[in-house]
Amino acid sequence: LIAVTSAVLSAAAVVATVARFDTSRGMQLLEEATWIPSLDVAWRLGVDGMALALGALTVVLFLAAVAYGVGPRPMTRAAAALLLLLESSTLAFFFAEDFFVFYVAFDVTLVAMYFLIALWGEENRRYAALKFFLYTLIGSLPVLLGIIALFLQADPHTFDMTKLTGDPVFAGAGTAASLVFLAFFVGFAIKTPIVPFHTWLPAAHVEAPTAGSVLLAGVLLKMGTYGLVRVNLQMLPAAFEKYALAVAVLGLVSVIYGAFVALAQTDLKRLIAYTSINHMGYVVIGVAAAAASGVSTRTRELALDGAVLQMVAHGVVTGALFFIAGFLMARTGTRDLRKLSGLMRPMPVYGTLTAIAFFASLGLPGLAQFPAELQIFLATFDVWPAVAATAAIGLILSAALFLLALQRAFLGDTGERWLRLPDIHGREVVALVPLIALTVALGVYPRLALDLIDSGAWLLGARP
Amino acid sequence: MTVADMKAMEERMISDLPWLAPIGALTLGAILAVVLALVLPRGRQGLAGAWVAAAHLAAAGVAVWVWLDRGFKVVMEGSVVVDGLALTLTATLGVAGALTVALARPVIAGTDREGEFYAVLTATTLAAVVLGHAGDIALIAIALGLLSLGSFIMTGYLRASTRSNEASLKYYIYGTVTAAAMVYGLTWWFGLAGSTNLAAIGKKLPDAPTAAVVASTALVIVGLGYKAALVPFHFWTPDVYDGAPVPVAAYLSVLPKLAGLVALARVLPAALPDDTAGWSTAVAVIAAATMTVGNIAALPQRNVVRLLAYSSIAQSGYLLMGVAALNGSREGLPALVYYAIAYAATNLAAFAVVLAVQRERRSVDIDAFAGLGRTHPWWTAALVLSFLSLLGLPPLAGFVGKLEVFTAAIDAGQAWLAAVAVVNTVISLYYYLRVIAPTVLSPAEQHGASRGSPALGTTLAITAVATVGFGIAAEPLLRVAERATMLGG
Repeated sequence: LIAVTSAVLSAAAVVATVARFDTSRGMQLLEEATWIPSLDVAWRLGVDGMALALGALTVVLFLAAVAYGVGPRPMTRAAAALLLLLESSTLAFFFAEDFFVFYVAFDVTLVAMYFLIALWGEENRRYAALKFFLYTLIGSLPVLLGIIALFLQADPHTFDMTKLTGDPVFAGAGTAASLVFLAFFVGFAIKTPIVPFHTWLPAAHVEAPTAGSVLLAGVLLKMGTYGLVRVNLQMLPAAFEKYALAVAVLGLVSVIYGAFVALAQTDLKRLIAYTSINHMGYVVIGVAAAAASGVSTRTRELALDGAVLQMVAHGVVTGALFFIAGFLMARTGTRDLRKLSGLMRPMPVYGTLTAIAFFASLGLPGLAQFPAELQIFLATFDVWPAVAATAAIGLILSAALFLLALQRAFLGDTGERWLRLPDIHGREVVALVPLIALTVALGVYPRLALDLIDSGAWLLGARP
Repeated sequence: MTVADMKAMEERMISDLPWLAPIGALTLGAILAVVLALVLPRGRQGLAGAWVAAAHLAAAGVAVWVWLDRGFKVVMEGSVVVDGLALTLTATLGVAGALTVALARPVIAGTDREGEFYAVLTATTLAAVVLGHAGDIALIAIALGLLSLGSFIMTGYLRASTRSNEASLKYYIYGTVTAAAMVYGLTWWFGLAGSTNLAAIGKKLPDAPTAAVVASTALVIVGLGYKAALVPFHFWTPDVYDGAPVPVAAYLSVLPKLAGLVALARVLPAALPDDTAGWSTAVAVIAAATMTVGNIAALPQRNVVRLLAYSSIAQSGYLLMGVAALNGSREGLPALVYYAIAYAATNLAAFAVVLAVQRERRSVDIDAFAGLGRTHPWWTAALVLSFLSLLGLPPLAGFVGKLEVFTAAIDAGQAWLAAVAVVNTVISLYYYLRVIAPTVLSPAEQHGASRGSPALGTTLAITAVATVGFGIAAEPLLRVAERATMLGG
């Protein structure tokens, strides 16, 4: 109950923040309270369009997760406490305007998620949890080194992200800047995950409890791309410009690779996990396009708007997908698509919602991910036509795999065992329906989020 | 020297006495503890424990008083340096010593020679504190000898246990050899410089023949590095910690270690100014080797005391990063001081939990920790927090410590060392989690009745709160660390 109240309260707080937010300005509503003045560490929070959009995504998904619950029902106090710890640290991460807060929040989410997976996950949970912890820690430590480098380079030494953004300390793209860029990039690439660093993701997603997968895919992955924009793009613009194409190619590899591997999966959760890699690849391409040299301001904003919108859309859609997989698992005891068939007949409502989520995920116009992917593609065509053209293959593949999955599990003859499955009910409705509604809303009227994101307003602040 | 000179010197030394008050408090504590041990009946020996704990706290308190009221000064004709580094070490060791007395009390209560144990413990702390103050190589040699002797007696306290005896003997032999090596190295310094005073040595060594300086410095590092459990002088650590009573292991992992590191931090820059003989790089290499060996050796351990022993070796490596950065960065010393205090709190918390588990479940195997989360949520919280702090996760004390030493290393131009430390941190995750995971995740098993102890519980609470508090409210401590400067000898 406390969990529900707190989640509602934090959602209300974010709504209030949205109301106070002035879309025409950059970073604003800064709160600052001194913490460790001798290191110039302070509890600095602030929001811009990207932070606020992701903050809104966070509270929505946490509301859904709290409504559905983790592990045994009724939810234990420990589970509720961990969820709230995760929520507060995630919000702190997105709103942080101080590297100390940023890093603390980054690692606290890691601990909270570790225990969520390890305590309430599926059969191989300990292995998956360890792998998750290990990979993410490997990612977070280079970030720490990068932060220290920025701290030492700034004069006077500071952890203030607003100052570091306004006046990039590594202005050039020399060796030092490249190394710092690389440190941050590796850290965030593991979190996102971008392809050579992705191997933790399927294990963690498959073994995590339903709410855990939802939050992991929906919110935590965004921390990687958020960092890419906030740090690499805003604080190391010159270095990013130099490596933009390389980053884009890695994103492209993620898109193609994720789609191909997903195509081969028969486990529904695994399939969704790999499509996450695919979708996050688009975000990376979008960010890289925004960083590339010789790009018009319009294209840059288009790319970044698209990338942020894609983060939000992917969060909502993938959150919904993992709920769907979780419900299925709870009902049938299997996630193996080969064993399932004709589920539409016993569960028409569930089937319909699933179909909407699948279509959204493959990028059907009118649903959430379409406008985002469209913007990214338009912008990328401007910069690197070849990359955009190749990335389109990923779109086709993901369309194929979702249609195939839909056909296998929901259409066709209903298997004997599945005839009496109950349709979606109770807390499942509470968790899933709002997400689907949001999917449709974002698809039909993307300005809902775009007005908020409005990257032009804050990105310019970073590039005087 | 005329009679008048000697009289003036005597007067100077007498007027210097207030600066020696912390050392005096511990000396008095040790002497009176011996008396108490003799006169008190067997059942009342706990009083001696209370007395020495009070003496430790008094030393810490007096150290604070000296800092605030008297300031820093080189006293006793240059042989004792009372500066920020020495005083913070004294305060830290005073509090840590009092806490280990509280840990030891339930373990050794009612054994014969209980009072003597407290007396020896206090004398050992005294030696550690003197080592931190020493501005003269003769004093270093004496302090190191006393430190070894006390540690050796405490390790062998469980006379009936063969493992305790073996550990004690190992410690003794190893300690004697390394101490002898160090004294030999110090005689070279004396020969090269013509003085036992560190400042005087520092004026001569840069011009002395390089080969002689390098060889003698290496020998000095052997002796102090042995106390700090640096690779390759670390082999005694796991056996000794495992064989000794757990509170003694806790004591050894904090007090002599920190004293050794502080002595290194004082001796190397003082005797070898401007990176003479390239000691910064040498120390950095030792730091890298120490953390790597410690972490890798900790991986397969199933005995949690041995695991903590290797972990403490690795921690020495991180601490040594601060020493290695001394020459190249102003951040080196504050980093060392902060990390030392954070490490003292965290490591004592970890050992306190292990002791609590050992007393209830009669084992320190990882399996004995299974299901602790269900039966003892508070112990578990302390264990998770202290282990995560050793790992260096924010917002705990260990994180701020690592942040500081990494910063110092990068600032001193040793970014490669910071990178090595990062890789090591990842390695260490594995074994810290190996203890945390069954503790939190496994179902509870039936075990003997709980044997709580107020002293143990209090220590656990204090150290765990400090582990969290030093991290979240790091500011006061960082300020202290920043001002804990060194005076030239």
